[in-house]
This record gives sequence, C-alpha cells and structure tokens, in this order.
Amino acid sequence: MNNPERPSFDQELAASLSRGRAVAVPGFADRVVDAVRGERRRRVIVRWSSVATAAAACLVAILTLAFPSEASLNRQTLALVARDESSQFADLLGVADDLSLLSPAVDKPSVVDVLNASGS
Amino acid sequence: MLPDDEDDKRLMALIAEGDDDALRLLVHRHHARLVGYLRGEVGSQATAEELAMEVFIRLHRAAARWRPEAKLSTYLIHIAHNLVLNEWRRRGRKPTTALEFAAEPGDTSQQSARRVAELDEAFHRAIAQLPPEQRTAILLIVQQELPYEDIAVIMGVPVSSVKTWIHRARARLRELLKDFHGN
Repeated sequence: MNNPERPSFDQELAASLSRGRAVAVPGFADRVVDAVRGERRRRVIVRWSSVATAAAACLVAILTLAFPSEASLNRQTLALVARDESSQFADLLGVADDLSLLSPAVDKPSVVDVLNASGS
Repeated sequence: MLPDDEDDKRLMALIAEGDDDALRLLVHRHHARLVGYLRGEVGSQATAEELAMEVFIRLHRAAARWRPEAKLSTYLIHIAHNLVLNEWRRRGRKPTTALEFAAEPGDTSQQSARRVAELDEAFHRAIAQLPPEQRTAILLIVQQELPYEDIAVIMGVPVSSVKTWIHRARARLRELLKDFHGN
C-alpha cells in the first residue's frame, strides 16, 4: 500500500526530469552567432573562389585559341606536310599501277641460263 | 509585448533577412530547454551543447523557408530529435553510459538534498538504459511536457505508438528502480 505522504513513482519521475528540463548555458547565444557568421564568411569565400576559377579557365581557353604556341604551330605544319607527302606518294603508286598494266610481261631468266651465258 | 510564439515568428522573419541580433535573442530564449532535452537523450553536457549548436545553425539556414505551422519550440525539438537519431546511428544504438548529471536539489536541508541528488542520478541512469524510442517519448512527455500529438509529429509516428512507448518506458523504469524507490 502506498504511503500517502510519499510521492508516487510517477511524481518522483516528473520531479526529477523537470529539474533537468532547462539547462541554461552562459554565452551560448554568442557562440551560435559566431558560428553562423563563420559559416556565412566561408560561403562567400567558396562562391568567389568558384567565380575566379571559372573566369581563369575562360581566359586560358581564349588565349590558347587566339595565340597558339610555336610548338603547336610546328606540329600543325608537320602534319600538313605529312598529309601532302602521303598524297603525292599515293599519286606515284597510282601511276606505277597504271604502268604495270601497260608494260609487257617479261620472262625472268632462270639461274641456270644466266650461269651458262656468263660461262660461254 | 507579443506572446513568445508570435514574437518567434517576428524574429524568424528578421533572421531570414540576416539579422544576427534577432538570432541571438531567439537562441537565448530557447536554448536552455533544448540543451535540457538533448542532455537527457545523450547523457553528456558537451555533446548536448554541440547538438544544440547544430540545431540553431540548421534553423538559421532554413529561416527563409520556415513556415509557422507549428510552434518554434516544437520545431527545434524536431530538428534535435533527428540529430539524436544520427548520434545513435553513429554510436551503434548503444545506451548512454557516461552520465554527467549534476543534480539540482530543490530542498535546503542537507539530507534531503543528498536524497534528491541520488534520486536524480538513479532516474537518469535508468532512462539511459531505455530503448531510444522509449527514452525520447518519456523525455518529451514528462520532461518537456509536450502533448501526444506534438510528440507524434516530432517522432514521425502515430499517437498510438507514442502512448505504447510511454507505457512501456514507465513500466521499465519502475522495474529498474524498484529497489531504489521501494514501491
């Protein structure tokens, strides 16, 4: 049987928990404001870094296209020459093919015939 | 002077415009109960303060989108509860073991103060052993004195689930404290 003067379990539970309901922390609000300001500064820095990086990339692309390097020019020139040589070579081969069609067939002498001719 | 709920809406509108003094005032008004709730959940004053800080930072980020459909105090507990869930996952859902409660006795007599301190210590250790859902429910109903409907919204469950957890929590606490309480 419960002692009427003694608080019940639920009453003691409520009393105990209510003692920890609010825990004031001195200076907490200032800490929160400082943290928020820090986050705001970081966001600004990140935003401007992204803009600067994008602008730098655009500038490099523009300069590269407008003023190609000497090495790049040399490579392009060699590539053109190579294309030109190969097209000339292809032309030569094409003429040789034509000539081979026109020339009569020549029997190649046998080794025996060559040796006999040189011996006599 | 506006009631707190109405003033909270006014402060949130100012915070959305970047007013740091409004943020300071809002934090000053609400942080004590938030830290109290979080300390009950995680059992550590330092962790409770870290989590409370994160709650207000998230509130600040969401200030422009916040719609005053619920009381701000309830909304803060909602954010806090989500952070507690993350903390449980990080800890592997183990009950809190390191309790740093400094009991605040309400009686001036030495013997009574010692009794109150021991009781508080015993209750908090027992609450730390509850399953997370029961612990949250009992803290919100008994410590924070929130209505069942608000607790259901915060925990994302039906009211019937909240009542079940509270019932089980009370039974479990009675069992854990039967030698101490003597009933």
